[in-house]
Amino acid sequence: MMASAAGASERGDSARPSGRSTATVRVEPASSGGGVRVSIEGDLIADSIGGARETLENALPAKSSGVGAIELDLTKCTELDASGVSLAVFLYRLAKSRGTEFRVVGADGDRKLLVDLALRGQDPVAPLPPIGLVRQVGSASINVAASVIDLVRFIGELSIVSMQVARNPRLLRVRDTIAGMSRHGTDAVPVVSLLGLLIGTIIAFQTFDPMAKYGAKLQVADVVAISIVRELGPLITAIILAGRSGSAFAAEIGTMKVTQELDALRTFGIDAVRFLVIPRILAVVLVTPLLSVYATLLGVAGGFLILGPEGFTLAQYLDEVRGALDIGDFLQGLAKAAVFALLVGAIGCLAGMRTGQGPGAVGLSTTRAVVAGIVAIVVADAVLGSFFYALGI
Amino acid sequence: MPSSSPTSSSNTPREVAIALRGVTIGYDRPIVEGIDLDIYAGEIMFIGGGSGCGKTTLLSNMTALRKPFAGSITIAGTDVATADDEAIARVRRRFGVMYQLGALFGGKTLLENVRLPLEEFTDLSDRAMDDIARAKLGLVGLGAHAHKEPSEISGGMQKRAAIARALALDPPIIFLDEPSAGLDPVTSADLDALIVALNRMLGTTFVIISHELASIYAIGHRFAMLDGARKRLVALGTPTELRDSSPDPWVRNFLNRVPTAET
Repeated sequence: MMASAAGASERGDSARPSGRSTATVRVEPASSGGGVRVSIEGDLIADSIGGARETLENALPAKSSGVGAIELDLTKCTELDASGVSLAVFLYRLAKSRGTEFRVVGADGDRKLLVDLALRGQDPVAPLPPIGLVRQVGSASINVAASVIDLVRFIGELSIVSMQVARNPRLLRVRDTIAGMSRHGTDAVPVVSLLGLLIGTIIAFQTFDPMAKYGAKLQVADVVAISIVRELGPLITAIILAGRSGSAFAAEIGTMKVTQELDALRTFGIDAVRFLVIPRILAVVLVTPLLSVYATLLGVAGGFLILGPEGFTLAQYLDEVRGALDIGDFLQGLAKAAVFALLVGAIGCLAGMRTGQGPGAVGLSTTRAVVAGIVAIVVADAVLGSFFYALGI
Repeated sequence: MPSSSPTSSSNTPREVAIALRGVTIGYDRPIVEGIDLDIYAGEIMFIGGGSGCGKTTLLSNMTALRKPFAGSITIAGTDVATADDEAIARVRRRFGVMYQLGALFGGKTLLENVRLPLEEFTDLSDRAMDDIARAKLGLVGLGAHAHKEPSEISGGMQKRAAIARALALDPPIIFLDEPSAGLDPVTSADLDALIVALNRMLGTTFVIISHELASIYAIGHRFAMLDGARKRLVALGTPTELRDSSPDPWVRNFLNRVPTAET
């Protein structure tokens, strides 16, 4: 069998000055031993490798077996480059997978070196056996358990360091904490305002018609007040916090980990938790309840945007809101906001400190911080809700 | 490759791979001015000088990542200083670059890293691209590590993998930026041996930005030296020639590793 192979047209401006190159590939039975002899005539280079390869693959069906040694004859090959030599790699791997010998003839000096070097370490590796379902489930469970243990350990570490800082307030990085309060509190005011106001408006809008059916138009104010003050105010604020600040913590600390800044801190004898984590968590725990109160006020105001045009006065609306709530509801919201902030801050910082290596690692940590943060918020909300209910608040 | 030994002198003019004429480089203001330099096809050319002398800036000018302030840089008949984007894209396929830290794409295996240029610029079959990438990893001694990611291998291996990636499209010219930076002497010598082998086997022109004297003496055919203080190319010749008989004492000191005490 014989064929002439021209290079792919897209390689027209190839590195080689020789213009369009061709290689002729001959596949014939070897003179002895039942093997195959592949001989190349012409330039076996980047320009011609595509065609040469196609010819060869057609002539040598990969599945056939019972073939003896494979021999590559380069005696009439005029030029061989680093792409051309891939043909030897192909034949070598084919021979290995068939359990036969591979030989190269007609190559000496630098060309022999080129072939020998290209073939180093090319033995085909048997693919790993597929991992069974049981093992997958097991390993996933171990991973989940390990990350929960890691979180618990981190919270423990955090508590110990917090205690040290409480006993000796000079250990607190006050300036970093204040900068953090500004960045994660003040700077979040516009987005918290918008979402708070809209959520209040939306709840009033959606409940107005069903309530009107029972003649309870004014009681829409009760619905808005209870849902915003107890649940949605803190929840919305915490979700914004997870998106804005939890992700930022993970990315900042993760980048520091990747650039060995955390190692540098450790070699100075500075505790990374005290230096980086405490100021960040303290900042969000202090500002988030304030942000939550603010979101709550705007949410309640948002409700009036629907009831006002329906003929209710502001005084009627506020009276109704006041009647629906007591101080317990308000304190419940505040407590929730503080707990959410603690969780989001701790999860964000932990994700940052556990960042792996490589360019994808920081992105992964950030994603983990946001997703785990939001999950933790909702789970904590459920737990706290039943807790307050049991207490009768 | 039918090329003769790059160091052999002959009367026929040698093919010029890269021609620099009156090149002035810099960022805000010129760092080095009026560089005239011919880099011949098939030679191993070192470009060096003290820290901050503009070595890496010259590299980014030659690889068309930035334009020189003045002058022309001609590669394969195209002046990359004035060429349009399309012409530059064509010239870029005629050289490969290995960056100081390897610049391998993380999250991709070595095989995928080397395959990437083939996927973008050829219409070869999947298996053919795999085998070409394997051959190139074999040439740099990483045949058995094709399925590892950059983060799983050592710094020296990452640099070798980066050379394999630079070889992907079989360019006649390869630029290396500080190949021995951060490597131990043995790994660095292995890398030198690899460069010599590729240069001999494939006739590839190597332009190496480095001030590593051991490598310059071991494998450099010629050495071009930049001086940031005088803002010009101050020496050009074989490394030993310059060391022993350069008229410039600073060049001799540099190549003899004599410390210059500030007075």
